[in-house]
Amino acid sequence: MRIRQGAVVLLLSSLFLIPAADAAPDAKACLACHASMKGNIEKEKGVLVNLNVDAEKFSKSVHGSFNCVDCHLSFASQPHKGPAAPVDKAIQDLAKALSLKSKIDPVAQAACVNCHPDPYAAYKTSVHGQNVMVKKSTDGPVCTSCHGSPHYIQARPSTESKVYLYNIIVTCGTCHEEKFMSEKYGFSPLVMERYLESFHGRKLKLGHTGAPSCAKCHGSHGILSAKDPKSPVNVANKKATCGQPKCHPGATDKFVAAITHKPLHPVAHFTEIALIILTVGTFMFIIIHVLLDIFADIRDRLFRKGDHHG
Amino acid sequence: MDKNIPQEIERFDLSARIQHIIMFTTFLILSFTGWGLKYAYVEPSSTWINIWGGPRMAGIIHRVAGITMLLDFIYHQFYLLNLARKRDLRLTIIPMPKDVVDLVHNFMYYLGLRKERPYFGKFSYLQKFDYWAVYWGMFIIGTSGFFLAFPVTVSALFPTFTLGWIWDVLFIMHSDEALLAIVFILIIHFYMEHLRSDVFPMNWLWLTGKMSVEKLKHHHPAEYDYLFGPKSKKENK
Repeated sequence: MRIRQGAVVLLLSSLFLIPAADAAPDAKACLACHASMKGNIEKEKGVLVNLNVDAEKFSKSVHGSFNCVDCHLSFASQPHKGPAAPVDKAIQDLAKALSLKSKIDPVAQAACVNCHPDPYAAYKTSVHGQNVMVKKSTDGPVCTSCHGSPHYIQARPSTESKVYLYNIIVTCGTCHEEKFMSEKYGFSPLVMERYLESFHGRKLKLGHTGAPSCAKCHGSHGILSAKDPKSPVNVANKKATCGQPKCHPGATDKFVAAITHKPLHPVAHFTEIALIILTVGTFMFIIIHVLLDIFADIRDRLFRKGDHHG
Repeated sequence: MDKNIPQEIERFDLSARIQHIIMFTTFLILSFTGWGLKYAYVEPSSTWINIWGGPRMAGIIHRVAGITMLLDFIYHQFYLLNLARKRDLRLTIIPMPKDVVDLVHNFMYYLGLRKERPYFGKFSYLQKFDYWAVYWGMFIIGTSGFFLAFPVTVSALFPTFTLGWIWDVLFIMHSDEALLAIVFILIIHFYMEHLRSDVFPMNWLWLTGKMSVEKLKHHHPAEYDYLFGPKSKKENK
């Protein structure tokens, strides 16, 4: 009986947590419901939205001290009444430009630029940004595609960050490993594989702090197609990019030909096959030879006493 | 036994023994550090490389060991030249048609088709193979390793038409042939000089340089006959 009374008191007191409609609600208020929601809702056809936010993970993210409405500037549908102030025109336009790619809350996606204007300025001119915003293609990332949900975002040095030195390979690979992408945009179909087996990839895996992963050479927010003369990995700029003082000072044109991420040239391919045949052939020969020698040794010791040499 | 025949003979002089020690020490260091990079994606490679002081230090150790090995190899060529100058160089290590005969005879012996082991000279065909494998390794792994260690500098040597594949070829040569060298040494050399029942736990020749004449007679009968007078194989038995 006492327990039930206590529960009622708790429930009633929780009503005081629900703020008045015109005051900016803080994250706690939203999370009272949004931290314990299960399943997805269908916003429009084919767009499933998970409305739940892991409150603990959110509080530990770099955005943990934010209020929800700092980014969720308006709500498209009831039951919520949006923040009182109307959404800035620039944000609304950007939201529209991103809406093809960011279907859940394009306004919140656009709101990133309020605090991160520089990455946005670079993104606008990048091959990614141009593809999404100008060419209206879905083949390009928006902020959250690479950085993950802003609710759980971690600073780049954190191993949990999606753009952390080691994790960025997987993040870029999400799209750059896709066959249709490489065919459509003309990059090597083996970009990731060839990177991973290169000295750079291997050294990075072993924890070499100087080994570059994708963004170190290709750039990040302002990334350009390698065919673009302004790209750091364009033929014209590769020497300067590879030749940075901490990497390969004095890099020459012939040296920078080493890293292309392209599939193996037939010469290299057949060299590899020839060497594999040689290696396997030698293995077979020496293993058979050693085994026969062991058997002969045992045979001599057992049956040809005096013939062996101990 | 004839009084003129000594108990043991010197097979490797001090210089050769030191060359061998430098060769196998650097070989082991190169294998240990290189393995971690070749199999970087197979754990516990990261831990293993950290034991060597991390990837940067492992890289430095690998390069220093590699250059030391190359110098040891170059020194060996001068050592041979010096022996030739002193008219002390016998061409017993050169592969000969007889080695093919020995190989066939040896397999026949293994299979019980011959009663006696082949009439081996100073070096059996396997020992010759072992010796020349180092030359092959130096040519393939040594040069590619040298190029990969100083890529910016040596890139000037590459003709333009090779640039589409030369770097991959160098990497493949270095990595695949190193594996071949390691497994070759691990199987043949370790078996012949460590595990074989008549040498276990090791053939002390690498330290003493000496082989008993008794063993010489058994394993290298042709050399025994060369050194201690013409005798027929039957008499040796």
